[in-house]
Amino acid sequence: MPRILHTADWQMGRYYSRFDNDDAVALAEARFTAIERLAQLARDERCDAVLVAGDVFDAQTVADRTIRRVFNAMSGFSGPWVMLPGNHDAALAESVWTRARRLNAVPDNVHLALEPGVVDLKAQGLAVLAAPLTQRHTHSDLTENFDHLETSPELLRVGLAHGSVQGLLAEDIDSANPIAADRAAQANLDYLALGDWHGVKQINARTWYSGTPEPERFRNNEAGVALVVDIAGPGAEPDVSRHRIGQFEWVQWREHLSVATDLDELLQRLEELPAPAVVDIRLSGEVDLAGEQKLLHALSVAEARHRSVQCDRSQLALQPTDEDIAELNADGYLGEVIGELREQQENADDEKAATSRDALAILTSLLRDRIEPASGNAGEGQP
Amino acid sequence: MKLQRLRLEQLRQFRQPLELNELGPGLNLIHGPNESGKSTLVRAIRAAFFERHRSSSVDDLRPWGDSSAAPSVELDFECQGVQWQLRKRFLQQKRCDLQVAGESYSGEEAEDKLADLLGFQFAPRGASQDKHWGIPGLLWVEQGSGQNVHDAVAYAGDHLKSALNSLLGEVASSGGDDVIQQVQAQRAELLTATGKPRGDYARLSEEQSQLAAELEALDERVAHYQSMVDRLGELRQRHQRNEQERPWEAARQSQQEAENRFREIEQWQQEQKREQQALDDCRQTLELLRRQQQQSQVAARKLNEREQTLAHCKETVNTLKTREEQVTVAQQQARKAYDKARQQVRVAKEQEQCNRLDNDIKQLRLQLETLGKNLEKARAHQAEHQETRNQQQANPLDLEALEALRKTQRQLEQERIRSQAIATRLHYALESGQALTLNGQSLQGEGDELLLEATTLALPGIGELTITPGGDDLARVQRQLERLQESYDNQLKSMKVDSPEQAGKLAEQQAQRKETIQRLEALLASIAPQGVDVLESQQQEFTRRLEQLQSEQKALSEIPGEPLSLTSAEAALDMAEQQLREADGKLQEHSKQLFAATQALENAQAEWQQLKRELENPERQAAEQSLQTQIAEAGERETRLQQSVGKRQEQIDEARPELLQQDMARFKASAEQLERSHQQEALELASLESKLESQGAEGLEEQREEMAARLEHVVRRYTELRRRAEALDLLLTLLQEKRKALTRRLQAPLQKHLNHYLGVLFPKANLDVDDNLIPGQLTRAGQQGQETGDVLDLSFGAREQMGLISRLAYADLLQEAGRPTLIILDDTLVHSDRQRLDQMKRILFDAASRHQVLLFTCHPENWQDLGVAPRDLEALKTTD
Repeated sequence: MPRILHTADWQMGRYYSRFDNDDAVALAEARFTAIERLAQLARDERCDAVLVAGDVFDAQTVADRTIRRVFNAMSGFSGPWVMLPGNHDAALAESVWTRARRLNAVPDNVHLALEPGVVDLKAQGLAVLAAPLTQRHTHSDLTENFDHLETSPELLRVGLAHGSVQGLLAEDIDSANPIAADRAAQANLDYLALGDWHGVKQINARTWYSGTPEPERFRNNEAGVALVVDIAGPGAEPDVSRHRIGQFEWVQWREHLSVATDLDELLQRLEELPAPAVVDIRLSGEVDLAGEQKLLHALSVAEARHRSVQCDRSQLALQPTDEDIAELNADGYLGEVIGELREQQENADDEKAATSRDALAILTSLLRDRIEPASGNAGEGQP
Repeated sequence: MKLQRLRLEQLRQFRQPLELNELGPGLNLIHGPNESGKSTLVRAIRAAFFERHRSSSVDDLRPWGDSSAAPSVELDFECQGVQWQLRKRFLQQKRCDLQVAGESYSGEEAEDKLADLLGFQFAPRGASQDKHWGIPGLLWVEQGSGQNVHDAVAYAGDHLKSALNSLLGEVASSGGDDVIQQVQAQRAELLTATGKPRGDYARLSEEQSQLAAELEALDERVAHYQSMVDRLGELRQRHQRNEQERPWEAARQSQQEAENRFREIEQWQQEQKREQQALDDCRQTLELLRRQQQQSQVAARKLNEREQTLAHCKETVNTLKTREEQVTVAQQQARKAYDKARQQVRVAKEQEQCNRLDNDIKQLRLQLETLGKNLEKARAHQAEHQETRNQQQANPLDLEALEALRKTQRQLEQERIRSQAIATRLHYALESGQALTLNGQSLQGEGDELLLEATTLALPGIGELTITPGGDDLARVQRQLERLQESYDNQLKSMKVDSPEQAGKLAEQQAQRKETIQRLEALLASIAPQGVDVLESQQQEFTRRLEQLQSEQKALSEIPGEPLSLTSAEAALDMAEQQLREADGKLQEHSKQLFAATQALENAQAEWQQLKRELENPERQAAEQSLQTQIAEAGERETRLQQSVGKRQEQIDEARPELLQQDMARFKASAEQLERSHQQEALELASLESKLESQGAEGLEEQREEMAARLEHVVRRYTELRRRAEALDLLLTLLQEKRKALTRRLQAPLQKHLNHYLGVLFPKANLDVDDNLIPGQLTRAGQQGQETGDVLDLSFGAREQMGLISRLAYADLLQEAGRPTLIILDDTLVHSDRQRLDQMKRILFDAASRHQVLLFTCHPENWQDLGVAPRDLEALKTTD
């Protein structure tokens, strides 16, 4: 009763430009850890083989060190690994794979499925039908070949492919590298392990996307798992279980603040968010000075708890209340300036509105510093 | 605020109490000479308000040398509708008591209440200074400081502004200027004054474009790398296919086939060449044979020609022979004519010589005759010449002696005339018929006589008169006369002449003869230049010659015949000679022709004979026959060969050997090219592989990702800074705008009051006030239209006037804001001229209708026309 670990889309060598350097390095590092965890999982779960359904590498020309580290990280599982080239690491005439071989980085237990065909794992009772990408993009269904590939009847027929299942995924997703939805049935496969879709997704009883083991996008599509697939024997329906691998949850919130309780609710959620996570908040609406103070404080706390907290407040207008203004002692023309800036925040031109908002923040912060020069933990009022 | 009463005691020079009461609500003029205490009064008022009663820094209030004095001031005034009374004592028993509308305050409380009311501060320590004085500092003008309004306004600034704020019913920002400064400072970190990025902001902008460029370069390299990978895949596929298919071998096969076909055609061509050669040979033979045949035909034609030539030669000889006699006769005739012409010429020549001799003889005879005549003449002349010469020599006359004679004669004459001049003149006029006798000479009629010596006049009938002339001279003259006469006579004798006239005649003859001799000699020279003897020998010579010629003539005269012209005879001879020459030529030519013709005839005869024999030879006729047959055979063969060659050529042309050759080259080149490119592909493959290997090791895309991340960071940071810069810019602009707007609002009332006064001095002038309400630019009508300048640049007097105007304007402003105003002027406007002072008085009078004004002066006469009674300080002192 063979047991397979199905994973895909490691995207090794990806660099996270949207984060500060520290966070980016840590997130890249987390992907190596994910491989180690996969190997650990395979050993713990006594899997017979690990199938990686494409996009192991994010690019063809990654550093030698990255290549070596990837294979080193796999050392925790000594059983067979079958690795399939995807669109990011297609098996071109010269590819990351040919380089890995030249570097002698590929251990013996790792099978590189660089050409279409069958990888026989007799000892494990598996025949892996591989449909590697040999071009960056193809517009024909490479798995069509599976229909004609003969395998020993005593071996399980397991397909390994990378691409978009036709008709199931959203239409707007690039339909390069198409895969027929009923390929498993047509090619008489026991299981079809797919890669390219970064969240875990079941297409049918025998066809699954495993998603990436460590999330790297904010799209909420259940990323960060690997699939353990049990198949009783040829023709038996596979039993698929999800196992968490990822370290960081990626959270993205778009919130509109209009009343004070909106902010309270947001801060509550932020407080309850399990750490460590990668957080991206984008706020719109308006907030008074006290609210802004509270928000900045909560963000500061969250930054310390989580891997990365980014908050875009450019659409969030600062609306000091009359009490705020009185408290700031903004008499005379300072009061007029505050009033004018408040009005300008409503400008139809986003750019101008944002500038007014920033200007208002600077002014209020200056005024606050005048009242209480010692307690300036709100920073310099920078956006 | 209206000051009503002022009392001071033990204060400076007022040791005794001095009270100034019943002060009017408007203008109060207090005068007194220098050191009468005007400034002390002012000082007392200041001290009452500004100095803490406890202050120990007010020693100056104490009268000189009175250390125990307790200077005190009492002031009664009305303000804000209530009555105020202030009593203050310094240095000793210090006190301050203030009663306001019945309520009492004392000490510092009282003092602070006053400070609040008037708008000033107390000095934290020491004596009060102008910077503490606030609004009173502005309105209470010390002696000599009227022009300096700037400091006073600055010190009163806050009070003024708060007064203005209350006036406008709104709040000026309390910390606005600080905020502006902070914003400015923060903006300056990012932007230059002109709004250009600086510092980090500028650096990030540069870094951003630099990184973008690097990223682009990396992108390019990645794209290049990817294209190389594609190329590698493509090449590898093609290389493998070619390795299997080996297309160059197919090309080689085609080349071989083309070559084989070409060889075949080459064989055809060689055969063709051979047969063509045979055809050519055949044609040549045929040509040869035909030429031979033609030659035999030519021989027959030649015989015919030679026959004709022979006949022609015979005819020529005959013709020439018939002409021979004619030519010979003509030659003989010409010879005869020539001989005759020669004879004629000889005769003509002889005749001509004979004529010439004749002429010579005639001429010689003529010459001989002339010579004879000349000889005769010469001989005659020679004889005459000899005779004349002889005569000349026989009668010589001395010409000098003749001259001397004539001289002597002239002297004698002159002496005679002189003697007559000195002689006694005797005039007589006798009646007719009467006569006298003088020295025996009878005188009749009328006349004169000169008497040189004693003369006797005989008067007939009467007797005689002897007249003796007087004087010595007469005697001496007489003697001279006698001597000259003697010499004269002697000379005549020696010359053998009787008189000088005769001697002249003789001299004349002698000259004539001389002339004759000369003439004869000339004649002789012309006729016989070489002498008469030569003429004679010439005559003999000519005679002899004549005889010779005559004998020659005699010898010639025997030649007979007609007289002939030599010229025509010679012409006839020339003609005859020419004709003879021609006739000789013709004869000779004819002989030559005849000879040649005879010769030709013989040759023609021989040739004809020879050819005829040859043609009639039988061997030759047989040969001709055989030639004919040979020609027929060769013609047949030629036709056959020609057909064969034509046919084969068609075959060859159809096969297109040149195209076959091209095919061969083409296939060969293709094969080579294919193989070579296959090898090159192998090389390129190897090179690409190694390039990709080395570039792959660089981790280009990972580098690119990193670079993109760096760029994104920079862009993010730059955007932040940009937003901040824009925000700061906006904030600063807004703050400054609002502040300016506020200032303008604040300035408006002050401006109004200023212009109210200013108009009196300078119609339509305008005085700007700056943000701090300090007068700045003055604009007024000048000589060249509007002129603008800083108040500080005005003359001292004008500045003082402006200062006063400003202070009055501030007072109006303060009063409007409900603040107390009291104006104290200590000896002001001393630098103004009469005209300006008059205007200033109008201004002051106007101001005094709203404010109480205390004016201290030592020139009361300047202020007489202010409509108030001046108060004399000296008088006040004495009333006490």
